[in-house]
Amino acid sequence: MATITCEQLTKRYGSVVAVDRLDLTIQHGEFMVLLGPSGCGKTTTLNMIAGLEEISDGTLRFDAKDVTWQPPHQREVAMVFQSYALYPNKSVRENIAFPLALRRTPRAEIARAVQDVAEQLEISHLLDRRPSQLSGGQRQRVALGRAIVRKPSVFLMDEPLSNLDATLRVSMRSLIKHLHHRLRATFVYVTHDQAEAMTLADRIAVMRGGLVQQLDTPEGIYARPANTFVASFLGSPQINLVEGEIAPDGSFVRGALRLRLPEGAAAPGRAVMLGLRPEDVAPPGPGLVTLEARVDLVSPLGSETLLEVIAPGDVPLTLRVPKDWRAREGEVLALGLDPARLHLFDRATESRL
Amino acid sequence: MARAARPVAPRILRALLLTFFSALFVLYVAGPVAWLVSSSLQTEAQITAVPPNWLPPEMNLSNFDAILNAAEREVTYETRRQGDPATGGFLPSGAANLIPSLWNSLTVGLWVAALNLLLSVTAAYAIAVIDFRGRRATLYTVLATRVVPDIALIVPLFLVIRNLGLINTLGALVVTYLAITVPFTIFILISYFEGIPRDLYRAARIDGCGHWGALRHVYLPLSLPALVASLTFAFLTSWNEFVFALVLTQNVAAQTLPIVISGFVMDFTTSFSFVNAAGVIAIIPPVLMAVLFQRYIVSGLTAGAVKG
Amino acid sequence: MLAALNRRFGYDERSAAILVFPVVAVLLVVAAYPILYSFWVSLHDIVLTRPLRRPFVGFDNYLRIFEDERFWLAVSRTTFYTVVTVAVTTLLAILVALLLNEAFPGQRLLAALLLVPWATPSVVNGLMWKWIYDPTYGLLNALLVQLGLLDRYRAWLGDPDLTLLLIANAAIWKQMPLAALLLIVTMKAIPDDLYRAAKVDGANVLQRFAHVTLPALRPGLMLVLVYETMISIRHFDLFLIMTQGGPGDASFVLSWLIYVETFRSLRFGTGAAMSYVLAMVTFLLSWAVIRWLGKRI
Repeated sequence: MATITCEQLTKRYGSVVAVDRLDLTIQHGEFMVLLGPSGCGKTTTLNMIAGLEEISDGTLRFDAKDVTWQPPHQREVAMVFQSYALYPNKSVRENIAFPLALRRTPRAEIARAVQDVAEQLEISHLLDRRPSQLSGGQRQRVALGRAIVRKPSVFLMDEPLSNLDATLRVSMRSLIKHLHHRLRATFVYVTHDQAEAMTLADRIAVMRGGLVQQLDTPEGIYARPANTFVASFLGSPQINLVEGEIAPDGSFVRGALRLRLPEGAAAPGRAVMLGLRPEDVAPPGPGLVTLEARVDLVSPLGSETLLEVIAPGDVPLTLRVPKDWRAREGEVLALGLDPARLHLFDRATESRL
Repeated sequence: MARAARPVAPRILRALLLTFFSALFVLYVAGPVAWLVSSSLQTEAQITAVPPNWLPPEMNLSNFDAILNAAEREVTYETRRQGDPATGGFLPSGAANLIPSLWNSLTVGLWVAALNLLLSVTAAYAIAVIDFRGRRATLYTVLATRVVPDIALIVPLFLVIRNLGLINTLGALVVTYLAITVPFTIFILISYFEGIPRDLYRAARIDGCGHWGALRHVYLPLSLPALVASLTFAFLTSWNEFVFALVLTQNVAAQTLPIVISGFVMDFTTSFSFVNAAGVIAIIPPVLMAVLFQRYIVSGLTAGAVKG
Repeated sequence: MLAALNRRFGYDERSAAILVFPVVAVLLVVAAYPILYSFWVSLHDIVLTRPLRRPFVGFDNYLRIFEDERFWLAVSRTTFYTVVTVAVTTLLAILVALLLNEAFPGQRLLAALLLVPWATPSVVNGLMWKWIYDPTYGLLNALLVQLGLLDRYRAWLGDPDLTLLLIANAAIWKQMPLAALLLIVTMKAIPDDLYRAAKVDGANVLQRFAHVTLPALRPGLMLVLVYETMISIRHFDLFLIMTQGGPGDASFVLSWLIYVETFRSLRFGTGAAMSYVLAMVTFLLSWAVIRWLGKRI
């Protein structure tokens, strides 16, 4: 049982603040993903939860217990690393058994637990090998085994899939998700990969510059990004952001581009950024705003097609449309946009309106 | 189109040059030692021949026999006078000290090697791995003591050891040699430890290791080459050291091999063959050790020196 | 209160203190304390033959050193000896490193051989060369006469013009291997692409050495130069074994002067002051190394 509570958690390196007064509660059994670009403080946060980095300020609790000053080996957390971090001098079996051996678990019990974990992860045939004789995917399974063999209530994962190739990453992703369902433990997962975050998380904390930008479910973050940073960090291709103003009649204007917005979306005269997800376009229809744009480039992906178009006012947009749209470069295309799905951000503060 | 013939001349030239310089190298590096060994195997009459015998006319181990059995021979003014200089019978009065001093050297060397490793490993781990307050201060203290020349330490150390009543004890030598070897060993081990992936340390801590555990389960097993290099280095330093031993020891109770041998060299009546044999005995253990652990020494001595 | 204490001395601090304590204790007793004690001694007129009266004299001992003719003689001898030793050691080490950096059959054997002088105790090194230089039975005389380069035997170490050079030769023989090893490691770190690029650009062997090897060797060379200087300046063993400062004052170097002053004249005060001067000089020379090494840790 473990609910992790960060209260005003801060990490300073000299004058550099890596994590700035972080308040975050991770519920028991929750799968929390810390997402952000490198240097955003997500790994530092994870290391502080693990006890591997000293906490400069603030309090960390596991349930009601203050663990701020507890060294890592007394915290009863398990961790999986990007570099796998298998002990090269130990066999796979010894690697998985190591945490139990340190706890003076009876030998027979260790053997049983290792066997059990190996079967779950389908690595029974590798038990007597050395880490150097394994492939990357196999190594990461061993690392997972070493983590779950202790049955801890907190799992910390530091970009565990980043060193794997794309296909392997997808299958390991579902393996981790299954593990979470089965173990019902608290997972804290650090990644810079939005797809991993979206597929795995119960909730995502998007971080930048040591601050949490937004904390929400994957759907919530995608549908209602709190600011332009979050909006552009999630979604591929990136959201289209267009600078402009709110006209007196309440519509968005940028040069020749004029889009009607829902009633009361923003005060007239305000400098804003308009966000349009590439997939939020349809053929013109009732209730939709129509936009005419010239097709500049067509990139078929098979399952769908990417279009680069130039909207009025020389605004370039990237769109993702169904594969059966027959667009040709050079022709002008009429598009329907749902005003309710447009995102508006303040241009100065970059936050959502 | 015919393929151009592979040019042969440059390769022959290279081979010739390499052979020539290799021969020069061997002559320069091994020549003096070979001559030392050669003359240790000759009788006094043979090595004082003009022109000299480059190689021993026959294998003659009488010098080594004299050293090994020096304790049983009573060396007095009388026996020395009876000894015929031409047959290598001139034994220095200190000859009987040679074998005891060999044991002294060995004892001190082994203690220094062991204690040096014990002290250095823990300190190097703390400095390389733990991010503790005072880390830089500790590091600089250690490096600074390495920089102070031995000669500046001799006088005060003599006084300190004398005041402690430890003059002429093996313990005084061991402690002194630790001060010489420990900073260097720590330096080697730090650069080696820093090469071990940090994630392994983090994994060990998470798996339940404290700092002792991480040292024992991660750093020690993974730095065997550096540990062997440190052991070798400390033993050799201790075995070869001269100045401190000269000042801190007085007689056979604590004198090491270099001190006893230097006594022979400065005794003009000593037969050359005997001194040379003593030199060969002093050279064998360190050279054997150096060649045996060559790989480790090279990686150890140069660790960090050129890493960037 | 307890929390604040825990904060300052957490698990890491407590572990580090335990791990570092033995070393710090040993170094304090055997290095730091003697260094400070030595300074105290150097400020007093201590003569061991007169144990009861040891007046404080301030910096008089230092002033006396600088007025001492023997000191300046020793400085000039030490400088000459050090410059010769360091220069020749470095040059030879470069040549040996170039040779051993090549791949050829027997290269490993030669590399192993290189460790022999390094492992040889300096006392044995001294007696070995003294024996080679021996005026009546020495190898050097025999060799030169047999080759027809010399018409009669000479007392090599007895020639004041040659003594320092001959001792330097013994020192170089022992010191060169470590320098060569350091340089070989530096050379191995030079990326092969640099040589290939230079070849494509049409550089010959000498040009490749001048424009690729030498610049890349600079850090290694720096280390070798400073390290060799540090140890050559304080050589003592060879001087005791081979010449005892003689003939006359031909090999009267600083470390020999300190030894004579302290352990023969038993004037500990001036001896300590001299040690301090030498230590300061060496310390200044090695300051560069500390900064250099400190930067990479």
